Amino acid sequence: MSRGRPTPTDGVSIGLWTWGIIVFIFLFAPIITIVVYSFNAGRTLVVWDGFSLDPYVRAMADPTMASSVLTSIKAALGSAAFAAVIGTLAGIAAARRPGKWAAVFLVVVTLVLITPEIVDAIALLIWFVRMGGPFGPDNQFVDYGLMRLWFGHAIFSTAVVVLIVRARVSGMDESLEEAAADLYAPPWRRFRQITLPLVFPAVMVGFLLSFSLSLDNTIISSFVSVAGSTPWPVYVFSAVRGTLRPELASMSTVMLLLTVLSLAAVGFVLRRGGGSSSELTQALAGGKQ
Amino acid sequence: MIPALPAGLLLTGFFLVPIGFIIFYSFGYKPGLLSSIGVDRLSLDRYGEALNDTFLLTFGNTLQIALLGTALCLFIAYPFAYWLSHHVASRYRSTLLAVVLVPLWTNFLLRTIGWQIILSGDGWLSKALMSAGIIHQPLNILFTRDAVEIGVVYNYLIFMILPLYVVLERMDPSLRQASRDLGAGRLRTFLQVTFPLSMPGVVAGCLLVFVPLCGDYITASILGGASANMAGQLVAAQFLMAQNWALGSATAVVLIIAIIMTVLAAGAGLAIVTAVLRAHRSVTLPGAVN
Repeated sequence: MSRGRPTPTDGVSIGLWTWGIIVFIFLFAPIITIVVYSFNAGRTLVVWDGFSLDPYVRAMADPTMASSVLTSIKAALGSAAFAAVIGTLAGIAAARRPGKWAAVFLVVVTLVLITPEIVDAIALLIWFVRMGGPFGPDNQFVDYGLMRLWFGHAIFSTAVVVLIVRARVSGMDESLEEAAADLYAPPWRRFRQITLPLVFPAVMVGFLLSFSLSLDNTIISSFVSVAGSTPWPVYVFSAVRGTLRPELASMSTVMLLLTVLSLAAVGFVLRRGGGSSSELTQALAGGKQ
Repeated sequence: MIPALPAGLLLTGFFLVPIGFIIFYSFGYKPGLLSSIGVDRLSLDRYGEALNDTFLLTFGNTLQIALLGTALCLFIAYPFAYWLSHHVASRYRSTLLAVVLVPLWTNFLLRTIGWQIILSGDGWLSKALMSAGIIHQPLNILFTRDAVEIGVVYNYLIFMILPLYVVLERMDPSLRQASRDLGAGRLRTFLQVTFPLSMPGVVAGCLLVFVPLCGDYITASILGGASANMAGQLVAAQFLMAQNWALGSATAVVLIIAIIMTVLAAGAGLAIVTAVLRAHRSVTLPGAVN
């Protein structure tokens, strides 16, 4: 199924190529617009007033903006790492030990995925306020704003990682793990030397997806975040309601560039490691083959 | 299932229990101006209030936008995924798929503002269309339903493309070949072989687009202005502005139930159509034992 074939030049084929190109233009039109407008010399983003590099200078010099991006990166790294670890363990367990509990667990995962984000957001807000402790302002030990973002973002991400890892493990032959057991490898060693390397591409895809979902999360963040740890999307959201300055587009362009570069690096590593990077799409299509 | 314990605890402690509280609070009331919730008297009254005319109108509006948006996503994504999986040489496919994902790495609010710039009456699209003579007055769709529809289709299109691409990419070309060898034309092959086989992708894509779209209110508030109120906004407003947790909770519960009912109704409709088509097209092979 992976062989290329010469494309016939008939009407249907020309139509499909045209459609493909139009969709790409549609997907990139607003991105390119934002990148172009990030060089806007004017005071408001949406009104073009000549070319200038000033927005970039101002974006880099703005401490509030920088701290919101930093908060977002911390929130995204923490929640993605958290979700990747516990989601991987649960995904492997759900695939290898099917039964009543696995079924119940997968129902909960499905519920997480179909609940509108706004409902999660209000439920978490009430819950964090009620619980206090590490999630409230009265504790001296942890940054509670960051704790709220970590847990708030980790819920959806964990559900996604569980599905991706489970899809990968279901498609994997169990005989390698059985062989290791026959050769007297204890469970921990079996997991570390056989299972984990085999599922690693799925874990990586799950981590990246969780990271980007967290980085872009607006609704949950705007409900649970507190002053002092405002994440980037909430900062942008408040600017949307007030005045939109071109600096926002500049910062966003810098972030886009950095993300694309780091993803290209990860893709390169995954490809060299021989892993398949299609777990993400497999999981979205409903799991195993 | 021991390794699943941390995830189980997280989802129980930070999803099931908080949602349980929302359901519990939906039976409560707002005791006074400064207090958000009272639960010493429980009643179904908030549901009566939640199902008022504004909610029904707004939910009807949301449902229309979501259903049309899902249909448009399917219509746009299907030929695109088919093209990517069958007409692009295999060595370029994963690169192009990665490029499709690039818009996801820009903040979605800014992407939506990108559309605001494009669609505005003095934006470049308007000017280009006017100088090409396609339209004669400046574009006037920003802050209308059309702009909202463009925005939601844009923001959720990728989640339709991915599952469709996966099923179409895996489909064995020999099945279509067999259909053609048996005398079916291109259209018939598509309708009776390719499309039915891609149903899991179609269903997954529709769910991935429809469900989050029903709860989204931010896209609509940026591109639709005051004219596009979405159901999610009603829930948010009860918590952020009215400070009426009971009514907000009841609205949230009604929203979830309405989404699940719509999905189930669509699923039932699909099952009936499939069953009818199966019965209609059933073939008995002469001499077959079974």
